[in-house]
Amino acid sequence: MAVSVKNITVPRGKNWVDNTYIIPVIKGLIITLRHMFKKPIVLYYPENKKVLPPNYRGLHMLTRDEQGREKCVACEMCSTACPADCIRIVANDSGDVWKDNFENREKHPIVFEIDELRCIFCGMCVEACPEDAIDMTDMHNLADYTRQDFIYDKERLLGVYDEYIKRHPDHAKRRDGEFKAMKNSSYFSVVSVENAKKPGGH
Amino acid sequence: MSHDTQIKKEPSNLSSKQFRTDSPLIDQIPGRKRQILRESPESELKMEEFLLNVGPQHPSTHGVLRLVVALEGEVIKRCDPDLGYLHRTFEKISESRSYQQIVPFTDRMDYLGSMNANWGVAVAVEKLAKIEVPERAEYLRVIVSELNRIASHLMWMGAFGADIGAVTAFLYGFRERELILDMFEEICGSRLTYGYIRVGGVAEDITPKFDKLVREFLDILPAKLEDYHNLITGNPIFLERTRGVGAITLEEAISYGVTGPMLKACGMPWDLRKEEPYSVYPKFDFDIPVYYNGDCFDRFRVRMDEMVESAKIVIQALDGLPEGDYKVKKLARNIKPPVGDVYVRQEAPRGEYGVYMESDGSTKPNRVKYRTPSFSNLSILPLMTVGWKIADLVAILGSVDIVLGDVDR
Amino acid sequence: MEILLFGIIGVVVLFSVIALNALILVYMERKVSAWMQSRLGPNRVGPFGLFQTTADIVKLILKENIRNDQSDKVIYFLAPILAFVAPFAAFVTVPIANTIGIRDLDMGAVYIFALGSSVIFSIIWAGYGSNSRYALIGAMRSAAQMVSYEVPMITAVLGVFLIAGSLSMREIVTMQANQTWFIVYQPLGFILFLIAGTAEANRAPFDLPEAESELVAGFHTEYTGLKFAFFFLGEYAAMLVSCCLIVLLFLGGWLVPFVDNSIIPAWIHITVFMIKVYLMIFLMMWFRWTFPRMRVDHLMGFGWKVLLPLAFINLVATGAVVLILK
Repeated sequence: MAVSVKNITVPRGKNWVDNTYIIPVIKGLIITLRHMFKKPIVLYYPENKKVLPPNYRGLHMLTRDEQGREKCVACEMCSTACPADCIRIVANDSGDVWKDNFENREKHPIVFEIDELRCIFCGMCVEACPEDAIDMTDMHNLADYTRQDFIYDKERLLGVYDEYIKRHPDHAKRRDGEFKAMKNSSYFSVVSVENAKKPGGH
Repeated sequence: MSHDTQIKKEPSNLSSKQFRTDSPLIDQIPGRKRQILRESPESELKMEEFLLNVGPQHPSTHGVLRLVVALEGEVIKRCDPDLGYLHRTFEKISESRSYQQIVPFTDRMDYLGSMNANWGVAVAVEKLAKIEVPERAEYLRVIVSELNRIASHLMWMGAFGADIGAVTAFLYGFRERELILDMFEEICGSRLTYGYIRVGGVAEDITPKFDKLVREFLDILPAKLEDYHNLITGNPIFLERTRGVGAITLEEAISYGVTGPMLKACGMPWDLRKEEPYSVYPKFDFDIPVYYNGDCFDRFRVRMDEMVESAKIVIQALDGLPEGDYKVKKLARNIKPPVGDVYVRQEAPRGEYGVYMESDGSTKPNRVKYRTPSFSNLSILPLMTVGWKIADLVAILGSVDIVLGDVDR
Repeated sequence: MEILLFGIIGVVVLFSVIALNALILVYMERKVSAWMQSRLGPNRVGPFGLFQTTADIVKLILKENIRNDQSDKVIYFLAPILAFVAPFAAFVTVPIANTIGIRDLDMGAVYIFALGSSVIFSIIWAGYGSNSRYALIGAMRSAAQMVSYEVPMITAVLGVFLIAGSLSMREIVTMQANQTWFIVYQPLGFILFLIAGTAEANRAPFDLPEAESELVAGFHTEYTGLKFAFFFLGEYAAMLVSCCLIVLLFLGGWLVPFVDNSIIPAWIHITVFMIKVYLMIFLMMWFRWTFPRMRVDHLMGFGWKVLLPLAFINLVATGAVVLILK
């Protein structure tokens, strides 16, 4: 087999100084000492939060169109694609009463529930959606008190959208390739939520 | 406010009442009774083995692994792993999901090297359904997979250092790993369980920021590795703890099915990226580090050197990235591969990761079996630890590099 | 009557000084370890996180006091008390400045070493009395370690006593005036005492008894709440005693170099002493966060086969030199 193989053996110390290992010990000590005087790589969390990329897979949201209705047409592609079976949709596709308010749409969901505790945050629902109706935000602090509180219904998911779009108004262009190329290229971009005051100090 | 809570235990009928005895579970496993080491006929004294339960909750068994260790003083006589605490029935779940839906589940098996786990399943499905993956997607798969290998080895190095006692190495390893996780967050939105490599390609294309982050990281990596070598590898205490400890011969390793860096440390240059090259690996120029002693120190060095080699692959792939699609255009929502079966194996950071998939023509697979490297690598642990001390048990277990999600699936 | 009153005041003062130092040490350890690891230590509780240790102690006091049913009541209870009291009592003969010290005994050094050895009792009581396997293993290892490092430690220091001709701490320091700190005369002794002192205080790289990654928590696995707080503070108090000893015996105690020490007020002496002690403590913390842990047989081998012969050589050489020069 034409494999390039590296054979390395450990060299024995050449003299007695090497065998007391005093120099590697001192080198190790110097490394930790050097780190003491470097700047720590700490983000002061609740005051300064990291800006997450637009394709971050956090809490779901249902997007609205220009008229404020949800874009979802209850095609159930997301719930079919979901590996964890966490989306429950009940569609409404009957009635002339809807044709006035919802032109060009035959169906819309009456019930759209996502059980965030079952969700594995894989993003397949987002990929499956043909209407860009469901998307994932950057909210990952999802603590709550009861299991029932984690079942997000349609109103709540639309509320998530309202909150998210206030912070990221140009998110509508998410699927656009140009938007991705526009992302700023700094390494640790930090946006202070309030006046970014550091607690305590170094 | 502070009252004495007394924990009552029912009296046991085993011999010594002073020390707690083990749960009856151990006695149910055949051949695992406590051995009597020495018995003096005059008095009633019996020296029995000291069974120590390095239990499911322990600061240094990397996950929920239970080891029942029989000790004589400090020396280990027997060590039996007791698995199953993290079993989540992924193979059974895979039988009731469509082919594309299996991919996010494989993330959770080897959660530290999940790109490789996704890749195995994706390749298996593509072989069954005869899907051609575009070249750009192959290059991207290689890039993220090798970056994941670096991240996994950094985390391993940290955990190994923490087990041995050098806690600082843990923090340093995590600091570098954060940089890689930032890169992955950039391309797929998630930091640990990616689900990026899908059937037919990858999930999203990369951005210029990803390119920049990767290059910056690869610039600083050699200096950081030099730091780690100065801090840990040269340290005489570390050398004494790991040199010669837990040594296995090549024949033993092969007969137990050990693969990955453990086998490379025993002297065999076996790497599936070179033996059965898959994807676009033949286009890259990289070496395989091989050492000959088979002990903990050599495994450590193999993994440190593998990081350098992976960095080489990433930079070559990034420089030679072709234009094109990042995934197959018209992929059906529910793939229906023809009847047949396939076994695909790849080089995960821990060893040989294999997926056996059998299809019966419907949209869901009939059987999926994951051959995970940590499970086979763990099987040699009872052989490796006999005769060493408790402190060595931790060092040996650390050097095997198990991830309990892999072991128990 | 007065003696009783002074005694009580002395005890209170001593306790508060040591407890305050131990608190500062815990905070310092967390900060120093954090800076070495590119992170910040506690910085939320109080300005710069200064009240973190207080918060920790309050938390430990408020915890539920769990005790094994089968643990030995007396021994389990006494172990943490001894762990804290022994170093605290050793401070009676440690003088901080020329006239400040509780009581300067003629055999101060013997007293301190004797109390240092009695910490072994607390470890064995904790391990055996906890009735738990991990605790027992930790206790056995620790007893072996401490006993085997006592011998090189004392042998290494005997050179200093030979040169000084006395065992009293204050006299040893006074003899180091005129910049002849004993570290100049006894460099090997200093290194050996430093290493052995680290082993005595159960600090890394010799912290096998409480090796967190191996034995959950070693001999204090079964302790929670205030008892654990005593072990915790006792460990830092023992480290403090070790470092105070090193400073007194080798680094000139409270003496300021290159200056006539009789005209310096006492508070400068105290400050200099504390600076030196904290430098040594920083050195010990630096070692802890850089080096891995040694395995038990390496540790014993190192103690008996490396440190002890070197200590004997040091002693014999010092004795020969002193004899020749007399």
